[in-house]
Amino acid sequence: MILKANITEALRSLVSAKQRTILALIGIVIGIGSVIGMVSIGSIVQNEALKQFKDMGVDIATVRKDSGEKGSEMALKDILGLKGRGDVTEVAPYLTSGTEYGSGSKKMFMEQMGVTESFFDLNKIVMKRGRRITDLDAYRYFCVIGTETEQFLNSAGTPDPIGSRIALGDRIYTIVGVMGAVSEGGMRPYGINRSVITHITTGTRSFQSKEINTFMVRLAGLKAAPEVKAEFQDYFEKKSNGLRVSVNTAEELIASMKKQMQLFSLLLGAIGSIALIVGGIGVMNVMLISVTERRKEIGLRRALGAQQMDIQAQFIIESVTLCLAGGIIGIFLGIGVSLVFAKLSKWEFLVSYGSIALGFGVATAVGIFFGYYPARQAARLDPIKALRS
Amino acid sequence: MLKIIDVHKNYAVGPTEVKVLKGISMEVGKGELLAVIGASGSGKSTLMHMIGLLEQPTSGDYFIEGEKISYDNDRVLSTIRNRKIGFVFQQYHLLPRLTALDNVGVPLVYRGMREPEIKEKSMVFLKKVEMEDRARHRPNEMSGGQQQRVAVARALVGNPSIVLADEPTGALDTRTGQEIMNLFRKLNEEEGITIIVITHDHKIAAQCKRQVEMVDGVIVQSSESRVQS
Ligand SMILES: Nc1ncnc2c1ncn2[C@@H]1O[C@H](COP(=O)(O)OP(=O)(O)OP(=O)(O)O)[C@@H](O)[C@H]1O
Ligand SMILES: [Mg+2]
Repeated sequence: MILKANITEALRSLVSAKQRTILALIGIVIGIGSVIGMVSIGSIVQNEALKQFKDMGVDIATVRKDSGEKGSEMALKDILGLKGRGDVTEVAPYLTSGTEYGSGSKKMFMEQMGVTESFFDLNKIVMKRGRRITDLDAYRYFCVIGTETEQFLNSAGTPDPIGSRIALGDRIYTIVGVMGAVSEGGMRPYGINRSVITHITTGTRSFQSKEINTFMVRLAGLKAAPEVKAEFQDYFEKKSNGLRVSVNTAEELIASMKKQMQLFSLLLGAIGSIALIVGGIGVMNVMLISVTERRKEIGLRRALGAQQMDIQAQFIIESVTLCLAGGIIGIFLGIGVSLVFAKLSKWEFLVSYGSIALGFGVATAVGIFFGYYPARQAARLDPIKALRS
Repeated sequence: MLKIIDVHKNYAVGPTEVKVLKGISMEVGKGELLAVIGASGSGKSTLMHMIGLLEQPTSGDYFIEGEKISYDNDRVLSTIRNRKIGFVFQQYHLLPRLTALDNVGVPLVYRGMREPEIKEKSMVFLKKVEMEDRARHRPNEMSGGQQQRVAVARALVGNPSIVLADEPTGALDTRTGQEIMNLFRKLNEEEGITIIVITHDHKIAAQCKRQVEMVDGVIVQSSESRVQS
């Protein structure tokens, strides 16, 4: 019952000192807001990154030719020849080249890619409409397009692009399919959604850059990157004099992503903690003023039978109430920030309920920690001196 | 009911000691209406704070209802204060944010009583001081006399053994002061409540059954009143 009376009293007191309460809240709001924002954004990023690996699998590696080596090239037949050797179950070489399409205000930067049929399997690309590029399309001017490319063509006056033609550079391609949207980043090459994809042999003829320097492989089992690298290095050194390659495995990428996430969390955590400490000191300051202003009240309550513990509880509850009020606003702020972040980066928005619980927990902890000292001061006041003040 | 034996109280002011109470012994019986008079600075308030357990004597013994007070436990002292003592101050000391009703209930909050019961009891005592129609008013919406009545209700609500009033009429005009005094006399006569009134107004003191005079930290004289009405 004392608890209830204390909470009522805390609210009364905080409301009666509005300005001060609001000022103290700002720090807490920012502190809790950044903690919640950081946890939410963290989980949004992680969710997005892992989503990709969930549908592509983790038994994938990307092999790149090291730059700067003149003269030694990865030949398409050598790359394709890898399939079935050792652990390699699938090979997908690709070629990319950027092109601007359209004119005036209606312009789009498109990713031109040359691929083999296996590219679609490896990247788990599902066709929305039409067909994919097969190896029967070698040297032919057929293409498939990504969803963003389709949207652009729609807005440029082509409601159903299948069967229509698209002129890129000095070539004209016939669109035979539209790919479903895929999430980008990680092992998947960038720009699939805004791409125009032809067969790789068509690409080497018509693209600006004609050299194949990247391919993806699927491996039969999980292997460490150095091991995979050694195998391919060995293979290409024999085939093509002095060629050096570097290898990224999915596993390695996940590990480095996790590390980055940790770093990111640590950074935001540090910012959040600093804001919370600043906010907490603000709360402590407000509470100290509140204690000073209410010395008479404290003396009176002591005269009427309040124990030191009662007074201490009253002020700690007041400070916790203050921090919780800031915490609730901060939680909304943090979720709002992560919502904006998700919208801007076109990623799936999600609220982590753990972060909300964390927000309440941290707010309460800050309230108790920074309210303790002022409350203790209040409890230790000499009742008579307090009454006389 | 109260027994004080050779109580001294010194305050340290810088390097020197100020002796405020210099060996006070007195007894207050149940149902008394006692006035403590004396010049300003004679130590009346200090004595009252000592009786009210807000101040620890430098030496001497103090018994309430036969029980010797020890000053080492805040919980025990607070509980005695809460249950056995009711204070009325010159400056009323009502909590400004609380209504009259809630102000009366404060001592009961510290007994862990439930809210409906607190409100009910507070209302009974507001009626006793004829302030029930001001129950929802806050202190700044009441006159001094009205505030002091609420303060009296607050002092009584916990059914204490003794009510200590430090110049309860000091901030009021003569008529309003007299009304508060009438209230004390009525409570004392009809309900047998023990009351100590501190005052330097001899007219007020004369209305009490017994007077004690303090001069410079000692009790110099104790006298029975001619019964007045
Ligand atoms: N905390 C203290 N420190 C030092 N001296 C004090 C303290 N409290 C009271 N005194 C001194 O004790 C003396 C008695 O004070 P007290 O308040 O008891 O007087 P009083 O009889 O109530 O006077 P008044 O009629 O003016 O209220 C005064 O001289 C005062 O200065
Ligand atoms: Mg006094």
